[in-house]
Amino acid sequence: MSNGKVLLFNHEKCAGCRSCVVGCSLYHDGECGKVLSRVAVVRNERFGESFPVGCDACSDAPCAAVCPTGACAMDHEAGITKIDANKCIGCKECAMACPFGAINMHYKTGKAFKCDLCEGREEGPVCADWCPGGAITYELPNVALKVKRRDKLTERLKAAKVGEEG
Amino acid sequence: MNGWAGQRLRVDLTTGEITKEPLSFEYRKKWIGGRGFNSEVIYNEVPPSLDPYDPKARVCFGVGPMSGSAAPSTGRVTVTAKSPLTGGFGDANMGGHWGAEVKYAGYDQIIVQGRAKKPVYIWIDDDKVELRDAGHLWGKFPREADQMIKEELGDEDIHIMMIGPAGENMVRFACTFNDVWRAAGRTGTGGVLGSKNLKAIATRGSGTVKVADPKKLMDVCNRLRQAFKNDPMKMGLYEFGSLCLINVANRDGWFPWKNFQGGAHPDANNLSGETHAATVLKHREGCYACPICCGRFTQIKDGKYAGEEFGGPEYEHAVPTGPRVGIIDDANDIWHNCCLTNDYGMDAIECGGTIAAAMEWYQRGLITTKDTGGLELEWGNAEVVATLIEQIGQRKGFGNILAEGADRASDKLGLGDEGHYYTITTRGMTLPGDDPRGLGFGYGLSFSVGTRGGCDHLRSLCCLELSGALYPGLNTRLLGDESACKPVTVNSKPYMVYYEENQKATTDCLNVCCFTTHWSYAVLTPDQVEYLNAVTGLDFTEEDFQEVGERIYNLERAYWNRCMSGSREDTVPERFLKEPMPQGVDYQTNVGVTFPLNDMLSQYYRYRDWDSKSGFPSERKLKQLGLDYVAKDLAPLRSKYVSETEKKKKKYYV
Repeated sequence: MSNGKVLLFNHEKCAGCRSCVVGCSLYHDGECGKVLSRVAVVRNERFGESFPVGCDACSDAPCAAVCPTGACAMDHEAGITKIDANKCIGCKECAMACPFGAINMHYKTGKAFKCDLCEGREEGPVCADWCPGGAITYELPNVALKVKRRDKLTERLKAAKVGEEG
Repeated sequence: MNGWAGQRLRVDLTTGEITKEPLSFEYRKKWIGGRGFNSEVIYNEVPPSLDPYDPKARVCFGVGPMSGSAAPSTGRVTVTAKSPLTGGFGDANMGGHWGAEVKYAGYDQIIVQGRAKKPVYIWIDDDKVELRDAGHLWGKFPREADQMIKEELGDEDIHIMMIGPAGENMVRFACTFNDVWRAAGRTGTGGVLGSKNLKAIATRGSGTVKVADPKKLMDVCNRLRQAFKNDPMKMGLYEFGSLCLINVANRDGWFPWKNFQGGAHPDANNLSGETHAATVLKHREGCYACPICCGRFTQIKDGKYAGEEFGGPEYEHAVPTGPRVGIIDDANDIWHNCCLTNDYGMDAIECGGTIAAAMEWYQRGLITTKDTGGLELEWGNAEVVATLIEQIGQRKGFGNILAEGADRASDKLGLGDEGHYYTITTRGMTLPGDDPRGLGFGYGLSFSVGTRGGCDHLRSLCCLELSGALYPGLNTRLLGDESACKPVTVNSKPYMVYYEENQKATTDCLNVCCFTTHWSYAVLTPDQVEYLNAVTGLDFTEEDFQEVGERIYNLERAYWNRCMSGSREDTVPERFLKEPMPQGVDYQTNVGVTFPLNDMLSQYYRYRDWDSKSGFPSERKLKQLGLDYVAKDLAPLRSKYVSETEKKKKKYYV
């Protein structure tokens, strides 16, 4: 049964190192490379920005909604959509429908593949485990939101105080 | 093939010929990768007498079997050429993501030779390789050219190696960059690319690194990445970048104040990593697969440079363009200088070091405003420094002389031995911002014998001598002597340097970052052997690891020997030998120290099995390392070099 945790992506903390990418591809496919990763990093070197991209575990998932064969479907046990390679026909509909670009096409099989939260990995998903800056975390979304709410409030209060003093 | 791509790419810019050459199993086993492959090519294909800017000269870009894999920090590239700065063997090493991309495109090495008739760039799209016009990119800063190439090729996610205007203008210490900001800084490889009319190599790789034993690799990487989470050096580097060293350097007296006239300053904290993080840090940056992420991205917030943005700086970037030239009051001046050296694309160490030498010539009255085109080279004059950086990048005015590097500039100005006293160089290359009287005697020894122009910190990177408090017991484990963990002692230092130089050379062949292996010490030789074997499926041992490093080190040394550079040149700037360290702050730990090179050098030669008179590797050692052809090359030169000893002085460059 799903423990309710999902992957959360915070670009403000992403250093763009792609440790997540190499870990993901090695763990799932036994090879290392960007083309085999379920998580990606969009880098914008000129401005020093990086954005981690992965499956956001939508509850109303467009990837499953558009799949013509039922290969891509919500797995309620795991709390995330999964793609059954036996049913996948490689049509790329799910990849195009994903609002984040979190679905990839396999260079050997031509079929779609996506994040499965490293099902069964004791330490949780490898991307979050290997992320050196806390840009990808594996958390209960409600708890993470509470923390974020408090952090943001503290920030605003601090700014207001500085404003008063200044 | 597991680990390696198994082939190298050779591009001849004169003929436009593009060839792919397979790399045999024996070759890969003997040289492993990046630095090994490159050094071998330079030794065999670039004669010591050749002008580094001759079209026949080569520039090699090498990656290793670990490049692009999941091991910690696998994005590095070694760039190697005959150095236009020193005239001898030159290489430099850069991080970023381009190295992994080259591997994914299917190459272990790229060799560039010849000279294009007009500016070009190379576009590598996996196995499709072509030369494209770069006329419109010539003269552009890397940040502009990067965008133009990406737009032209219609892919924002490719990775690009390139040079800046300094490389085009053949400044002798121009850098090679990738991902806009990651520099292979030293020895002037950028100018060699400029001489070939090559602006950039844009690369798209859609392959993968095949792994012989994925489960084993996953286990090692899990363990190592876990270790980094608690590693004390990782935490400092992640939080503050390598600028985390500033306050340490100041305490231990190796902060290069005014061309090493001092070793500490009360205001050093102005440019510390702590201050940087609290004021101008926009973002942290990581090279490929790195668990440390020491890279910085800076945005200046106020003052006349407000809004200026650039990737960096790191310690060796901020120090030469700041305290080394006497700038310390306003850190924004330093960040601006860092930004300029990036945009022009040149080695900040050599650039700042050369300006610092010029400032000292000015201070001592060796040059006047008549020589400098009216510029008053007073210490700490930020405007003059910024002007000089631009002049050097454009090869204009007094900057055109300084663009030759400190030692050549001294000769061009006719300053004689006194001029050279103030160039803080060995073998023609400026020392980094690390004073051996404080950072450590191992570092100093390493400066004297290093194989890329002598004076380099990245040949041994013997941080073991700094590691005492952070990694207790490590020196006992690796060297059998815990007392070696103090910087200002000669204990076990010759062996430490010998050991770390070999270790570092092989690390450069794997092309993993030495901050994972020589700074943080989270990854030691047994771990490296383990991941190398997991990826390649071979059975390297720790002894092999040392032997490959030793082979490379001796080959590079032999290149210098063929340039008639040996024991006479194995020294450090006289300032460190003669002038006791003055007091800069009251908590400084190394007041009065001079650097005792002679207590260590002969012992180091013995570990190396180098001839005590000439400093050439012994025939026995070379044969033992499988370098019989090198022994043959050196045979007629040994006695010649020694007989030259009587009548000739040390060469400042070759």
